Amino acid sequence: MTALAPFTLQTGLFFRRKLLETLRQPVWIITGLITPVLYLALFAPLLRSLAGGPAFAPGHVLDVFVPGVMVLIAFGAGMGAGWPVIWELDSGVIERLRVTPASRLALLLGTVLRDIVMFAVPGAVVIAAGAAFGYHVHWGGLALLFLLLALLTAACSATSSALGLNLRQIGSLAAVITGAQLPLTLLAGILLPLSLGPTWLRVLGHVNPLYYSVQAARSLAAGTVSAGTVGVGFLVTGVIAVLAMWWGTRAYQRAMA
Amino acid sequence: MSSLATPAVQIAGLRKSFRVAGKTVEAVRGIDLTVAAGEIFGLLGPNGAGKTTTLRILTTLLPADSGTAQVAGAEVLRAAAVVRRRIGYVGQLGGADKEATGRENLMLAGRLYGLSAAAARQRCAELTEVFDLGELAGRPVRTYSGGQRRRLEVALGIMHRPQVLFLDEPTTGLDPQNRANLWEQLRLLRDDGTTIFLTTHYLDEADQLCDRVAIVDHGRVIALGRPDELKQRYSADTIEVIPEAGADVLEAVAAELAQTPYIAEAVVETKAGGHATIRLTASDATRAMTAVFGALASRGVPTRAASLARPTLDDVFLRETGRSLRDAGSSPAGPDVPLTSGTGAAQEVAA
Repeated sequence: MTALAPFTLQTGLFFRRKLLETLRQPVWIITGLITPVLYLALFAPLLRSLAGGPAFAPGHVLDVFVPGVMVLIAFGAGMGAGWPVIWELDSGVIERLRVTPASRLALLLGTVLRDIVMFAVPGAVVIAAGAAFGYHVHWGGLALLFLLLALLTAACSATSSALGLNLRQIGSLAAVITGAQLPLTLLAGILLPLSLGPTWLRVLGHVNPLYYSVQAARSLAAGTVSAGTVGVGFLVTGVIAVLAMWWGTRAYQRAMA
Repeated sequence: MSSLATPAVQIAGLRKSFRVAGKTVEAVRGIDLTVAAGEIFGLLGPNGAGKTTTLRILTTLLPADSGTAQVAGAEVLRAAAVVRRRIGYVGQLGGADKEATGRENLMLAGRLYGLSAAAARQRCAELTEVFDLGELAGRPVRTYSGGQRRRLEVALGIMHRPQVLFLDEPTTGLDPQNRANLWEQLRLLRDDGTTIFLTTHYLDEADQLCDRVAIVDHGRVIALGRPDELKQRYSADTIEVIPEAGADVLEAVAAELAQTPYIAEAVVETKAGGHATIRLTASDATRAMTAVFGALASRGVPTRAASLARPTLDDVFLRETGRSLRDAGSSPAGPDVPLTSGTGAAQEVAA
């Protein structure tokens, strides 16, 4: 009998496995990189005429838009985690891993960490491209922005895995995720700030946890590290991430049981 | 560590039921079993007999409703983590990561159980050699044939040298040659001291591969023992001889043979339009054949044809259930129990 691999090694092994899985599908990497750049190239110009208007008063349009796209990338990178989970249920991979003594949290974290990479790389590309188009980089805020959005990616990734493990069918998972995606993103003011909308829309936004991540992201992108929105954003996103990881770990414990 | 004296698997009063479409189905209804260390043990039964459910309980995948189960010296429910370190598992679905290469699959399995990278590489080389996967190891598993994939999956299950290896229907879908190869590998593993616990619905697999067999039906063990012992206990050899003689001569021969201790029964049957046949049920086929040919020869009666039918485990099943195992799987009387509540497995049942 052998000693069990320590938790960090297990996590690392699962992370490596997931990363290799992604690297084997270059299509996803390419679309993952191109989509955000398309947002910048094809959508941002539409906002230019709004510059100086109510939501974009102080600065450049991209200062408002870039953090929104960053949130969108984090959301997308995390929410894709559930699909492979269903393939792995169907092919018995998860069942086999569940008979090993491997930690269920490590299993979940392997995917979470891969998704954080899948957010961070296109995220960096967007920052670089944005800067070239006139986005003002604030380094301290930017570092915290990546940290906040890594948490958001983790929350989305764990939620998506948990959904996949519970729903077990690709159709149900697709319905839930696409169904939730639109209201969540619209009510967070990702592409256009909610401050443009009527009061009822802004009130609805306040019950959407993603709204706080977006608000914090905008403050951080503008370099306002000490803003109250930043603290609230970290708190809400952090709590959601912890809850989602607890849910995902539990789902792995109970999968197929 | 469990010594040889500790049974590899010990189950008492094991029960498990599922809710299926609003109805409660008892998949396992009180199974008691002891499997000694170092044997190949088979659970034989039709689909829905509770084999897979039992296996899933033993491998920590499913909690039992009641009863106790000890595997490799540890309690399945209370010490699942200990059990998981000591067992290997090859599921029906396989469980190899199809996009990854065979080597990546093996390395991950080895390292999860705590093998160093060097030790895992060495074990991987050893197993790819034994399972004849050497050339394939660097290719993605999705390019493997069914037999190659199964070999990899068994290798995955024994990467960490488990004390007990569980296999769920290991040869389903394999061609005869791959089946024979896998049987040989399992025997070698057993000879190395690994206990092997498998489920099967193949009579010949239970008969030829397993040291001991539990025949299960509707969640209960209906017969337990060595295959030859079971066949002898429940059924005997049947010899049919068609001599060139009239029924009256044969009646005399049959009466004489019926006196012999190792012949349980001797009857003369005349099938419509056919030849009169002497039918013997014997505990010792060789001696019974010598006796029948001797009796015919002493009367100068030549033999037209003779045949010997040995009992199979299906006879055992038939005696106990009144059904043939070959048909039982599709019998509407059998409970339609899902293997698990998992999608993949449930689809298999529906298929």
